[in-house]
Amino acid sequence: MKCIRCGKEDSVHVVAKAPDGSGAWEIYKCDVCNYGWRSSEPAKMLDSSKWDPFFSLIGVDLNKLMIPCPIPPLREK
Amino acid sequence: MFKDFREFLAVLEKEGQLVRYADEIVPEPEVRLISRAACDMGSGSSPAVLMDNIRGYKGQRLAVNVHGSWANHALMLGMPKTASLKEQFFELEHRWDKYEEGKVEWIDSDKAPCHEAVLDEGAFNLLELLPCFKINEYDGGFYLSKASVVSKDPDEPDNFDKENVGIYRIQMLDADTLSMQGLPFHDIAIQLRKAEERNEPLPVAICLGMDPVISFMASTPIAYDQSEYKMAAALKGAPVVLTKTTDGKLDVPAGAEFVLEGEIVPRVRIPEGPFGEFPGSYSGARRQVLIKIRRVTHRKDPIFENLYIGRPWGEIDTLGGLNTSISLFKQITETMPEVVAINAMYQHGLTVVIAVNPRFGGYAKSVAFRAASTPHGISYVKNIILVDGDVDPFDLEKVMWAMSTRIRGPQDVFVIPGTPGMPLDPSSEPPGMGVKVVIDATTPVAPERQLRDVRMVCPMPEARKYQDILTDLQKAANKK
Repeated sequence: MKCIRCGKEDSVHVVAKAPDGSGAWEIYKCDVCNYGWRSSEPAKMLDSSKWDPFFSLIGVDLNKLMIPCPIPPLREK
Repeated sequence: MFKDFREFLAVLEKEGQLVRYADEIVPEPEVRLISRAACDMGSGSSPAVLMDNIRGYKGQRLAVNVHGSWANHALMLGMPKTASLKEQFFELEHRWDKYEEGKVEWIDSDKAPCHEAVLDEGAFNLLELLPCFKINEYDGGFYLSKASVVSKDPDEPDNFDKENVGIYRIQMLDADTLSMQGLPFHDIAIQLRKAEERNEPLPVAICLGMDPVISFMASTPIAYDQSEYKMAAALKGAPVVLTKTTDGKLDVPAGAEFVLEGEIVPRVRIPEGPFGEFPGSYSGARRQVLIKIRRVTHRKDPIFENLYIGRPWGEIDTLGGLNTSISLFKQITETMPEVVAINAMYQHGLTVVIAVNPRFGGYAKSVAFRAASTPHGISYVKNIILVDGDVDPFDLEKVMWAMSTRIRGPQDVFVIPGTPGMPLDPSSEPPGMGVKVVIDATTPVAPERQLRDVRMVCPMPEARKYQDILTDLQKAANKK
């Protein structure tokens, strides 16, 4: 399955199912960009061609995303 | 007085400040729309909303907008739900000084209500256990927006006062993995830095559905060595009841609905976000810390609490409005007792209105510098409006009057560029940098040259008793 947000192939798997046993929905997660979504969300959100392109991560180098809380140098023992 | 979350919900319901939404709804977008609608009912008296018929989560309970109005805020303080903002400010201001009297009581871990159910690794899935929803449509996932994170200072694990309780945004990634934003000026960042310098995990306990006074303190910027629990007890005028987490590492409210025990994995940053944030805009995708949850405990038939955050005005604004105001007020009046009151309710204090009786010419501007250099003010306080002490800073009609008739542009408005800024503020560019804008709408005092020789029309405090009479007459007229 392809990620709606970053477009990566085979990066998505099911991480939750409706706990009441109704089968109402599943939740998916992309292992690359960590986007999470529910299968029952409005149709617009399940079709990347209908997304506001501002939120797309296709072609974005995720390693270069801002790190608001930087990792400090290791303390010398 | 209520001692935990569910007892407070009972108070709200008795006071007509909680409604139950019983019709079946879908998680997206209906839960978001209902949460938004509750905020849109107005900050004066909008109710908390309890939902228990969310498709796929049938029977699981979700509460939103618990702190969503000044009426609920007043009830949290044990005041009448009609208490004005100014009355609530000064009541809080009075209780704040009783910090040292704030007492904590302890319950054995195995007797604590929050430990009625214990789920070990592999026996829980957070995305199924908590009836979560997309708070805003382009959020990067499912968020805990009102979770209090408890953590200790790795250098002083036995220092109770330095144990931090703070609300930070948390994205739920899968059954037991979370990502959290702790910004460098947040208290938890101090503790995380110490742990990461040693390449050690930082234990955390994430509490959901707490005594609302503790949630209130968890969203308050108090000093690093002040205990949120002790301050909550001082505000309540009654002890806060705590217990140890099942692993014994941290202290949590015994009556919490859920406690997620885990740790921040050291020296790892993973993609997180975007998230619709309190300035009303999405913060972009970032690389944030990773949390692994090892155990979940909860009460019987637990209630998941979350809040709507995004385009103001929303619950986050009410939750963090007066506590931010009081916190700044206390820090500034340590050295400047001429400050009468502070309204810092707008987006965690990005804009503040300070009422002050200037001691000498130019003094009000010095107050602005002080506000901009308090621990919270350094990054957050951006627009500083100064008004005379006889202007109620919570009454925006009066504030606009002061601005309309006092400001002399050239000497009363100035901008200091290149200061720290709040990274989530979309006008902070690059994120983290900002400006301070000072607008001095106080009346000049000597030796500064006076305004033209005018006489002000004095306030009339003696009119108050007639206001009460007129209010009663109007109530009687409405009953007819």
